[in-house]
This record gives sequence, structure tokens and C-alpha cells, in this order.
Amino acid sequence: MPDTTTDEKQDEQPETPPRPQVPSGFQPPPLDMGWAKAPTERPPLPKDLGPEGFTLRLADAGSYGWAPDHWPYQNDTPRGAWPAPEDRRGLLAPYTIYEKHEVWAENAADLYELAIRERWVPATDVSWGSIEPLADHVEAALDQICTNISEQQYNSNQVLMGWLKEISYGYHEVKLYLATQTFDQARHCEAFRKRALSNGGGLGVQQPGFMHRTVYAAFKFSEYVSYVNILRGSFLLGLCEWGDRLGRSQADRQLFENTANDLRRHLAYGVDHLKHYIRHDPVNRARVDVWLNRGEAMYAADLRRDKPFREAFILALGDTVQQGKERFAELRKHQLDRYLQTLEAASVYNRAETLIPAFKDVIENP
Amino acid sequence: MTKADILQELRKEPGGEDLDLSWIEQPAAERGLRVVPGKRGLTLEEISVGSYGNPPDMTTNQSGRMRGSAPRADAQNIGAHWYSKSESWSDSAMMLYEEGLQRQWSSATDIPWGDLPELDEDLELAMSQLCTFLTQVEFIAGDVPGKFAPAIAAEYFEVGLFLATQIMDEGRHLDVFRKRALANGIGLLQAGPGAVGLLTAQSFIDMTASLHLVGEGFVQSLFRMGELIAHSEVDKRIFRLAAQDESRHVAFGVMHMKHLLETEPERREEVHTYLDRMEGQVGSTPNQAGLTGGGDTTEALAILLGGGKSEAQLNDGYQKLLAVRRRQFNEYMHRLDVVGLGDRRERLPERVRAFIDPPRN
Repeated sequence: MPDTTTDEKQDEQPETPPRPQVPSGFQPPPLDMGWAKAPTERPPLPKDLGPEGFTLRLADAGSYGWAPDHWPYQNDTPRGAWPAPEDRRGLLAPYTIYEKHEVWAENAADLYELAIRERWVPATDVSWGSIEPLADHVEAALDQICTNISEQQYNSNQVLMGWLKEISYGYHEVKLYLATQTFDQARHCEAFRKRALSNGGGLGVQQPGFMHRTVYAAFKFSEYVSYVNILRGSFLLGLCEWGDRLGRSQADRQLFENTANDLRRHLAYGVDHLKHYIRHDPVNRARVDVWLNRGEAMYAADLRRDKPFREAFILALGDTVQQGKERFAELRKHQLDRYLQTLEAASVYNRAETLIPAFKDVIENP
Repeated sequence: MTKADILQELRKEPGGEDLDLSWIEQPAAERGLRVVPGKRGLTLEEISVGSYGNPPDMTTNQSGRMRGSAPRADAQNIGAHWYSKSESWSDSAMMLYEEGLQRQWSSATDIPWGDLPELDEDLELAMSQLCTFLTQVEFIAGDVPGKFAPAIAAEYFEVGLFLATQIMDEGRHLDVFRKRALANGIGLLQAGPGAVGLLTAQSFIDMTASLHLVGEGFVQSLFRMGELIAHSEVDKRIFRLAAQDESRHVAFGVMHMKHLLETEPERREEVHTYLDRMEGQVGSTPNQAGLTGGGDTTEALAILLGGGKSEAQLNDGYQKLLAVRRRQFNEYMHRLDVVGLGDRRERLPERVRAFIDPPRN
């Protein structure tokens, strides 16, 4: 008996619809080239490119390099292009930052190119094979420090990525620079996790998270910069600058050195931005102070409650507990100095006199 | 001496009386890992082992605690993260992240700008117009994933890391096409409606469908046709490098959608609605056309593809443009097949089906 099941099933299936044809008598539209008449500036041809190549600063010559105080286009019109007529601009964008002083840093274009030149790859640019087995408590101490850094940089990065959609297209140097900062922060999160897992250890204990929450809660972009690029960035840079004392291998030192190098760019952006922000309107200095007060208080809460992080430094820095404590106090002083120097560079002078007491206390009595 | 003995000795040392050290004595996180680098170095895949690998299907981690690390009872609750792995996970995230790092390039030094030839003015104008369009839309593809990054729990941090590479890539694309427009004396030209519509995505899967499957996919196909569009080795190199980046973004999105449809098949119709919208089937302008052409950019592309603006060249250019469109739609259909949405072939609008080749089998 023939099996008709298949046929029946085939009958049930709808016929494949005929494939519509691309119109064979396709007629190209008449030549218009109205776009070619856009009255935009004709830039000079780039000449004598040096070893740094065709940089953004060289490319953005003439009016292309001029970022206005207020960006007037509420879509993705590139700076220097001829804007589409209002009825052809599509949706208005959800950007909220149209004022230059809210994001600008004079060095953003240069830092963008520098970050690309200085990129590194943790998977292959770190001498992982140089790591030797360590005493359990020393390895655990280093792993705890790595855990804190990895978590911190993930938090900073998540929030930074979320800010990009707020920044209008007119300040493309800033958006581009920030893209490099997200890239760097991702790399830090990754690299320190790898270190914690590579030498017989594992991750340590998470942070209390007062600062994480504060970073998430930033209402203004300059507030985010104050917390991440200035405060937390200075402290992490200070830590990384002590990498030769903390690390036990070439790989450790490479990690700290490369990260420090990235962080110097983050600080440089933060410094230039805050300087620009304060110069724009003197009242902004008071706003920065409010953010620093809040940041210091929350950072102090983290440091005071984070017992594993504190003890990790003591174990990693000294051959004895006493020596570890002394060096830890030195490290905290170094981090504070780095923070205060960064603020001075950003034209926030004399902050040492107005540090939040809890913050001062946790630094002086770590 | 055992670890416990050492810790006891440390507590007895001068200054050691306030040391707790319980976090070493009784670690709550897995220890004893000794991951070694493989052929491609120490990659994320290599360290994704034991309790540090295998992200859970669901998480209540709202504190930013990295996967595998020990929790604190008093950790702050940020309350901003998705609970479900399927919301954002892509099995390719780790590999694509590492590849993204290895394959970074510099628009300043990896493009031989000094070799840019003087082109016929019409071709140069057309190239500048195309680059104006690309400068306009490329960083939207950085803004959009950025919008969702704060919601990705640290349990699934690899996704967050990958998105950072996408943002970096899109920054470089904005930069390289801007530089290209400015490098040969013409400059930026006419801006268009742009791609702000992509920022309307309200969920990660909405983004994956609209940005990765459609938007980035169409741009990737366009860049792959760069050999036809470009009139110099410099321009060809730009398209090749940019296409390589876009391939990673598209692969991420394809694998995310595949994961979602395998783990939550009930969301299939939801996904179709996002594609309906992008294909212009809900009464709006088809977004995918606006993403790689439309109006001014179409004409510029036709001039580039035909080699000039004479009638014969334009005819040839538009015919080649149809071939570009055919490739864009067929590669789109291939992505749909891969994610398990091959049935969408029957749901495509007629004007799209006209370009699609019959199924291979």
C-alpha cells in the first residue's frame, strides 16, 4: 500500500509564493547632485604627516575644528556637514547635552589618538608565564586587590557607556575620547580578573558598593567625571603607581604599569574638563565641591567597611604586619596626594583644607 | 606550616591584633585556579572555568559583584540590572571581545593617506557624500549599545566588555569616514535624516534585531562591496577594515538572538515585530533603506559604482547598486536562517522578496 502521508503533507503546505521580480525596466532617477552643492568648507589637503599620522586634530582643520558653545542640531548631523532641511532631519534625538561646557575638554581629540596608539592586549601583551607560585596569603591579598579593581572598572564602564547617548553629535571629539575610555575600562576589568585566576587563587570578596551606587546615581556628566576620572581615577592611579611594590612578577608590574598609563589619560580628560567647566561659570566651582564632598564621603564609607581590601594591602606590602601597615599608610598618603594634585591641575585649589572628615580619617588612619 | 598556622602567626605579630583574615581562612569564592595561556594568549574563554564560567540562567545580583567573587551581605543594591541571562547573553561575546582587542586599528596610521590619489571631481564629491552619511550614522551604533550597558549584571560581564569594543569600533568608523571626507579637499557635504531612530530600541533584543541584524548587517554588506565602490587602494582598505569590525558586531547580535530564541522560543513573535518595523511593515519608512542609502547617498553610491555621472555610467551604477541591495537582502536572509527565523522568508514584504535568492536546498 502506498504511503500517502508525505503527499498529504505536501498538499497541506501552502505553495511557495512566486518570487517577485526586480523591475526589469528599471529607470534610474534623473541626475540631481544637489548634495554636491552643499556650501560647506573645503578643507586643506593634509601635508607632511608625521609618525602620528593623519590625526583628528589635523583632519579637523578650519571650521571643522570649531566646537560651538551650544550645539544647535537635535539629530546626528556631523559637525561641519550641511544640515538637512528641518522636514528631512528625521527623529529628534534623545540627547540631553547640547552645551559645550558640560562635556568639553580641550585635549579630547589628542587623547583619543593617544589612546589608540597606546592600546594593549591583556591576553598577549602580559607575560603571564612570568608569574610564580606565591604563599597562599600573599596570593590571596593580590587577588583581593585585583577583584576590587576589576569590579570598580566594570562599574565605571557600565555607567560611562550609558552616558554616550546623552551627548549630542556636535562634540564628536569627546564622544570619541570616551569610546577609548570605555575600551580601557573594559580592558582593566578583564585584565585584573585574569590575574586573579591565573596563579592558584581566585576572586576575593566584593566591595561594599557605596561608590558604585554613587557613580550610577550621577545626575550630571561632570558629576560622573568628578567621581570616576578624578576621585576614583586618582586613587587607582596612585595604587597602580605602586605596582612595583605590590606586584611579585613581571606580569604584575606590566598590568599595573599599563593600567596606570591608561588612567593618566582618563585623569587628563577629567582635569581638562573640570577646568573648562569651572572656567565657564565660577558658580560651577561650588557644584564641583558638592560632588567632591559626596564622592569623598561615599568613597570613605567603602574604604572603612572593606576589611578584605584593607588587609590585602597590609599583607601585600610588608614582610611583617607592622611593615605592611606602615607601607599601607604611605600608599594612602600617595593616593591622596595624587588626588589633590589632580584637583589642583583642574583649578580646584586648596581641597586639602576642606576634605570630608570621614575621608581624611580613613586616609590618615587606614 | 599550614595556611591556618600562618594566619594565626600573622595575628600574633605586633600590629596584627586587629586583623580578621577570615576572608582568607574561609574564602567564599572558589580558589586554587591556575589558568594558563593557550595559543591565543590568556583569553576570557580560558578563564571561564569552574564557578567562574557558566553564567547562571538567572541572577539576583544587583550589586555589581563580579561573577564568582564572594558576596557581602551589606552590599549596596543598585537595582538596575536585568535578571535573566537570555536578555543579553551571546555565546560569542568572549571570543568576539578578544578578537576585537586583537584587531584594533588606527585611522591615523593604518590608512596610507599619503597614497590617496586625486580623483575625478564627481567621484570625489560622491565619496565625500557617502562619507558624510557614514560619519553621521556610525556612532549611533555606539550610542545604542551604550544605552543598555548599565542594565547588564556583572554575572554577564563579558557582554558588557564586548559592547565596549563595539563602541570603540564605531568611534573609529565615525573618525575614519570623517577623515576620508576631509582628506582630499572636498570636506563633509549634505547631512540626511540619519539613524537616530535606532535609539528608539526599548530592550536589548529590540536593539539586536534592529541594530545588529538589520542596521549593522546592511552596513557590513555595503562595506563588503567596497571593492566596487572604492576608486583607490586607500578607500578599499578603509572599507575592508571597517567590514571586519562590523562582522564582529553582527556576529554578536546573531548569536544573541539565537540564544534568546533557543531559550525563550515564546518570544519569537515579539522578535518578528521588531523586524516588521525595520522592514517598513508597520506603516513607517523602511529603516534598513535609510541606513545604507536613500536619497542623496543613493545617488552618490550610483556615481561611485558606475565610475561617473554620464548616462551610461549612471545606468551601470544603478545596476550595480541593485546588486548591492540584492547582497544586502540575501545576507540578511542568511542571518535570519542562522538565528532560526528562516520562516521569515514568507513574511518579507514583496519589494524585499524580489531581491532574495531561493532557499539553497
